[in-house]
Amino acid sequence: MSDRIQVDNVSRFYGEVLGVNRVTLSIPPGITSLVGPNGSGKTTLMNLITGLVRPTRGSIQVLGISPADPERLFRVCAYATQFDSFPRGMTGFQFIYSYLRLSGLPHADCQRTTAFAIGRVNLGEAAHRKIAGYSKGMRQRIKLAQAIAHDPRVLVLDEPLNGLDPLVRAETIALFREFAAEGRHVIVSSHILHEVDTISDQVILLSNGYVVAEGQIRGVREEMSEHPMQVIIRCTRANLLASRVFEQDHVVEVRLHADGGGLLVKTRDADRFYKALNHLALDGVGIESVAPADDNVNSLYEYLIGGEESTR
Amino acid sequence: MAVYKRTYAAYEGSFTPTWSRFLILPRYSFARLWQSKFLVMFFMTCFFYPLGCVAYIYLANNLSILSSFGFPAGRLIKVEPSLFLYFCWVQAAFTYLLTAFIGPSLISPDLVNGAMPLYLCRPFSRTEYIAGKMSVLVFLLSLVTWIPGLILFVIQCSLAGWEWTRANIWIAGSIFVGMMIWILVLSLLALALSAWIKWKIAAGGLVLGVFFAGAGFGTALNSVMRTKYGTLLNLTEVMFTIWSKLFRWQADTGISVEAAWICVSVVCAICLWLLVRRVRAFEVVK
Repeated sequence: MSDRIQVDNVSRFYGEVLGVNRVTLSIPPGITSLVGPNGSGKTTLMNLITGLVRPTRGSIQVLGISPADPERLFRVCAYATQFDSFPRGMTGFQFIYSYLRLSGLPHADCQRTTAFAIGRVNLGEAAHRKIAGYSKGMRQRIKLAQAIAHDPRVLVLDEPLNGLDPLVRAETIALFREFAAEGRHVIVSSHILHEVDTISDQVILLSNGYVVAEGQIRGVREEMSEHPMQVIIRCTRANLLASRVFEQDHVVEVRLHADGGGLLVKTRDADRFYKALNHLALDGVGIESVAPADDNVNSLYEYLIGGEESTR
Repeated sequence: MAVYKRTYAAYEGSFTPTWSRFLILPRYSFARLWQSKFLVMFFMTCFFYPLGCVAYIYLANNLSILSSFGFPAGRLIKVEPSLFLYFCWVQAAFTYLLTAFIGPSLISPDLVNGAMPLYLCRPFSRTEYIAGKMSVLVFLLSLVTWIPGLILFVIQCSLAGWEWTRANIWIAGSIFVGMMIWILVLSLLALALSAWIKWKIAAGGLVLGVFFAGAGFGTALNSVMRTKYGTLLNLTEVMFTIWSKLFRWQADTGISVEAAWICVSVVCAICLWLLVRRVRAFEVVK
């Protein structure tokens, strides 16, 4: 069985409305974040992966299983939707239990796995309360519990961190990492770029139904030659360092910090810049810290999608 | 890519049979329905007429009881196929109201809450979802239609003897087929309206309205166009035509049995099409 999710030249149109267009991806295990503005096709892509929507063109294989084969697919795959979608009147326990029964698990296994899943998201005390009385964060957690209850290998989670308080958010991210460390796929969509940056092994940036970038954040960033890498350096002799740095042919801009204690460097070749910086440090410049300023999802989003958004 | 420890182990237990999974859906629907006292009372009311029929059948087969009170019972009380036709007719009216109460609450809450993706992101199809929801209506309506109908038939058989049973065994089939068609039409209609109209009261009203409006429109069409085919818009008349044929009764509804069957098939097909259009895991935001 393949350990990848393969999306091969997939397009989906809803009549005249574009969902996604010509998307080709090969998603490895780990935490993968789908990032993009509203209407960019994140949810459509998730629906396609989980077989809730059939592609107009192209094909999808989830660990070698076609989404057109739900009996096999949903043994290894789980989906938590973006919206609060709870059939009315159920308690948290009934909610998970009933969906496990729909998945075909027998009563005893359902009881056991429901209790386990609820325990994993720390909702034990509220398990027998009606979901209608849950807070937003509790609803998110019970949705996550129903997704993980049958121990899936592929978790597809639409905006799973929305509405969680910082503590629960940290616990949830830890749970994602735990899943990823077990070799599972955790595919999340999020607008919280800082968290995407923190948790993701790889990102997929979508805009207007197209994949505009995919891969590990650093790898994607390095391929964007039209946007020089920005590096912030805090040092003792910033003027001297600025003049020496500017001698490098790959450095396109240097800005001194207002306090004179550092500089911002824009370079077209980060690797060569870091090597040169080592030599400069040996020449007597006291460097306190070096940090990339735009080597994150936020910058990718801004460069790749922000421009398009602003030109709309 | 990072190197992962591959410690994942999937569920390896047994699974329930695929065909039985749709039966998971009714359990919570029933629990919710029985919370309504009004519904429970109305449901009980649905059994008054069958009880009356039991008494009638008993008396018809025990005329000496009436004769002892001086009634000329022999000429007035007889068990004929028409008794079962009227039984179906009366019980159909009860089920019509029952469906208007129950039907709208079956699918619309799931659609309002966006629960469809949750149902369908499992080894569970749209057909099974519709079958699961429909089973609620089929079960409840069966309890007040063909099940008591067949019980009445069995009682009559046991009281009237083998000769009567042999001559009238077809009535059992007619009760079952006639009522199942009615249940199918009502269930599909209620589910389709429940899927398209999110407001329960409006959906319930429309279940009732479809019959009244159809009857009114059909009569108007007959008058204006000087035809009888307007009656095909009157589902009650259409069903009565079919039942009459099943119970070997001469009905003057003005339409042929074949036309009635085609009409029922078209109504069911339209309802199924409406359901399939609505019961899906995604919504398109334009």
